[in-house]
Amino acid sequence: MSKASSYGRKNLVISILFTALVFFLSIKLDPYNQGQLSVALMFFIGILSIVLLTGASGQISLGQGALMAVGGFAAALGILNLGLSIWLAIALAVFAALLAGLLLGIAAARLSGPYLAGTTLVIALAIPSLATRFESVFGGDVGLTIDFGNPPAWLTSLMGEVGYEQWQLLATLPFATLALFFTSNILSSRTGRSWRALRDNEVAASLAGMKISETKIFVFVISSGFAGLAGVLYGLRGIVGPSVYPISLSLLLLTGAVLGGIRSILGALIGALLVVFLPDLVEWASASFSPSEQIANYLPAMISSLLLILTVVLNPGGIAHGLHHKKRHH
Amino acid sequence: MDIFLSAIFAGTSRGAIYALAALGLVLVWRGAGVVNFAQMGQAMFSTYIASTLIAQNYSYWIAFVVALISGGVLGGLVDLLVMRPLSRKRSSSVLDSPAMRSTVPVIASLGILGVLQAAAGMIWAAEERGFPTPVNSLGLVINGKIMPFTAFDLFVMGIVFVTLVATTYFFKGTGMGLAMRASALNPEVARLSGIRIGFVRTLSWVISGVASSLAGLLVTPSANLSPYTLDLILIIGFTAAVVGGLDSLLGSVIGGFALGLLVSFVNVYDAPEDIFLAILIVLLTVLVIRPQGILGSKEVRRV
Repeated sequence: MSKASSYGRKNLVISILFTALVFFLSIKLDPYNQGQLSVALMFFIGILSIVLLTGASGQISLGQGALMAVGGFAAALGILNLGLSIWLAIALAVFAALLAGLLLGIAAARLSGPYLAGTTLVIALAIPSLATRFESVFGGDVGLTIDFGNPPAWLTSLMGEVGYEQWQLLATLPFATLALFFTSNILSSRTGRSWRALRDNEVAASLAGMKISETKIFVFVISSGFAGLAGVLYGLRGIVGPSVYPISLSLLLLTGAVLGGIRSILGALIGALLVVFLPDLVEWASASFSPSEQIANYLPAMISSLLLILTVVLNPGGIAHGLHHKKRHH
Repeated sequence: MDIFLSAIFAGTSRGAIYALAALGLVLVWRGAGVVNFAQMGQAMFSTYIASTLIAQNYSYWIAFVVALISGGVLGGLVDLLVMRPLSRKRSSSVLDSPAMRSTVPVIASLGILGVLQAAAGMIWAAEERGFPTPVNSLGLVINGKIMPFTAFDLFVMGIVFVTLVATTYFFKGTGMGLAMRASALNPEVARLSGIRIGFVRTLSWVISGVASSLAGLLVTPSANLSPYTLDLILIIGFTAAVVGGLDSLLGSVIGGFALGLLVSFVNVYDAPEDIFLAILIVLLTVLVIRPQGILGSKEVRRV
């Protein structure tokens, strides 16, 4: 019991430090990088959904982008048709994604490995295509327009003028902190241990009295809630539509999760920062030998894909695994 | 009635191509126990090579053969450079559980897909290209009536038939095919009985590479070539393979034709936007009712 509460305190301290650091950066950075950092936080939440699903419980999903789309569309419909505030819309989005995760989980609990990967890949393609199918509701290829709106008066009176990108970052921050705190607690709890047991040996876990299917579905539901939260924040940048949640978004999140370290919360943060800032980094690094536009366009994709293969083959635990490993030896 | 017939014909010739893609997936699944999501990326790459040769005035058949060879080489390279090192890695804690061991190759194959698409974009500027057919692609004329069926369609179906017979014979009738099945089923026992597992696995990657580059060459005349156009074939090919049974060659071909007809009927009688939804429904239905597929063997998937 005391061990559990010491974990809780540690997680709380880390979450507060995280919030303070991002808040400090939100003042120091220029608008472009404020925007980039806010996208990185959204991806952080999305990658945490993969850490829970794949890292902790061993189920793969190539369809997190579809769940993000569910969250985004639910919020957009709530804002545009019911006149909800963005905060209520975010709650609605998470709820919708939890429901979608329940349906997905019921189907997916029977599957594993490549079957699960292929099925979720088809889902990632099928869900956004619904938007073009029911054009009058979901706005077709163009999508629906929503945004974070203007910063509230109390914030501007407290901090002076707050730009749109800064507001976007500050509005995303509490959700990222919440996701961080929730994930670190669940992973160090009894629930997290039961998920890992499921991943490491399904037969042993079921012999020990675990309900395999229920647990798998539960993981899917929780993970989908995270993806839905990431999705609504991602959509609130301006547009919710099929082009905002393409299949490449799901793959980008998976890439970030693997590069950073699929079992680690720190890894999720590193991975999110990496996939968001990699194009800027590559552009900056390749400026000296000025590649042709054709090559420059594909260079970030090439580098992240190569890193993905190298990580899987050489260091499957990702960057965070390397860090932890070093720490243990010292 | 005419619409119905033309939907059937269009579906059959499409289905032949899906069957090839599914066959490619099944070959690697049986030979190496991996579902290769990079497969149509490899096919895209070898089709671009063929298209470049044709643009430089080489004959279709030379380009065809070069594309098949490069498809095979690419398949072999994927195994030697990525999959074999991966399957030998046992020390990492991430790979310790069976759930993760079947998941990690999937992630690796997605990385390979990304590399191939980026490389094709860099080399060929991601321009969409057309692609010629070796035989007439106008409707055949029988008794003065234009049929909704072209000589090229017949050509495609002939190739699928030959490929199916050849691969089935290879697996059932030759020693190497037997070795391949054995090493996929139980690598340890196969190794102990003197089968060179590494070689056998690489061979299955090579054969699958050839089969899928064939699919790429045959589908491209009706869909333009770009680094991403063949992704759809992968999705449908995967569904076809699951419908037919992921470990059955004949099943995957039946699944391919079934999906060809499905896609064609959705296109004609409903709307093209519904294709993914229809595929998803079929996939989920099969996985729930008969997870081993039409012709798959029971123990292929442990629930």
